[in-house]
Amino acid sequence: MLEYQIFFDYFPMILLGFWLTLKIVVCAIALGIPLGLILALGRRSNFIPISFFATSFIELFRNTPFIIQVFLFYYVLPFYGLRLSAEYVGILALAAFGSAYFAEIIRAGIDAIPKGQLESARAIGMTDWQSMKNIILPQTVSIVLPPLTNQTLTLIKESAILSTITVHELTMTGLMVQGETFRPFEVFIMVALLYWALNETIASIMRRIEKRYSRNRKQNKIVRSKIDIIKSSGFSR
Amino acid sequence: MKPNFLEIIDINKKFGNINALKNVFLNVSKGEVICIIGPSGCGKSTLLRTVNWLTPPDSGKVILKGEIIGSDTGKMTFEQNNSLNAFRARIGMVFQQFNVWPHLNALENVVRAQIVVRKIMRDEAEKKAIKILNEVGLKDKIDEWPDNLSGGQKQRLAIARSLAMDPILMLLDEPTSALDPELIGEVLSVLRNLVNEGMTMLIVTHELGFASRFGDKIVFMDAGEIIESGPPNTILKSPKTERLKLFLEKLSLTSL
Repeated sequence: MLEYQIFFDYFPMILLGFWLTLKIVVCAIALGIPLGLILALGRRSNFIPISFFATSFIELFRNTPFIIQVFLFYYVLPFYGLRLSAEYVGILALAAFGSAYFAEIIRAGIDAIPKGQLESARAIGMTDWQSMKNIILPQTVSIVLPPLTNQTLTLIKESAILSTITVHELTMTGLMVQGETFRPFEVFIMVALLYWALNETIASIMRRIEKRYSRNRKQNKIVRSKIDIIKSSGFSR
Repeated sequence: MKPNFLEIIDINKKFGNINALKNVFLNVSKGEVICIIGPSGCGKSTLLRTVNWLTPPDSGKVILKGEIIGSDTGKMTFEQNNSLNAFRARIGMVFQQFNVWPHLNALENVVRAQIVVRKIMRDEAEKKAIKILNEVGLKDKIDEWPDNLSGGQKQRLAIARSLAMDPILMLLDEPTSALDPELIGEVLSVLRNLVNEGMTMLIVTHELGFASRFGDKIVFMDAGEIIESGPPNTILKSPKTERLKLFLEKLSLTSL
């Protein structure tokens, strides 16, 4: 049977863990999305060293397990004199992991814009970066929002892995309370509900933003069909 | 008329094994309207795109008002890149598929490049945009999104976008080919105004009627080479080569 007292006694502590998870994830996303944009542009660059570096970075972080990346960050960085607390290592690892996926999403979004858009921008005298900023990237926003949201939710769930390097985030706190109380059911229900509440909040905010974006302008049919392709190729929620 | 406003000297371009352009020479005087005709895949669009280096040629030079566009060595330095962008800002380009910017409304389509490329203040850019949109007959479409415009309106918007940059040369790549027949007229009439204003233009077109009335010169291309060029009357009425004869015959057959 459920022991309701556990909820009252330990919820404040669990909430503390939730607060750290929230802080870590917000930092990781704030770092990860700009880094993802830089990587996406880097991968498309004509300058080979840059595109090689961006591609290697993306493929490395996309194709290895997150928990291994976390271990590498946590145990290897100190060898090179970079001593960071577990929380900061966690933020870096999450940001690096997330940025690889963000980069691929943004790249797919850029590729979905018809080639003529870039050509017309270049033909009128805009530099590569001016064309991206004024013409291409604004058009990709409505395309990449749904998969970016998706990846953000995944990132939040992946942050549970940081418990393995002693970050006292939500999952870690749950494990500790569980060890103290031997009541896994009550404890992990609280933990699960908090993850769910966070993700659901983000998802519903993003749904509203997406709707506003698609209402703001009627979209070009070509772009629309490409959105469907992207959505159906595994990014769908 | 000053001679050699634009000089295209010995341009070559290969796509894989295909010779898209082979030893192409072309001289254009200021105010001249050149219509480029030829079967599809003959390199006429490629020729147009090498002029503003949207497709850099493998070899050869493009010289506008005595200055080389792009570079003649194949590699681009930083300075050459900057000067290329400055050239492009003064060379208007109009595409078959319009390529208007769907995330910007009609006014902003005409305003944006003025601000970004020419660093003109917004007020001034908007004033100019409204004046030009008025000239191309889009006065009441200023707030409209491109997706709500017809093909002809989109193409006129694209032309307005180029005109706002005060071009000294216009490149038009089949400007009416993607349009419904009843919409072609409105675009041609805008082009007619440009001709009357003395704009120097290179037009790839299938509109032989327009070419013969407003073109100063018709250039016939086939398989990447200029086969014949001259005033519309001689080119269309008395073609010298077999290939041009064949091409004109085919065109008149399809228009029957």
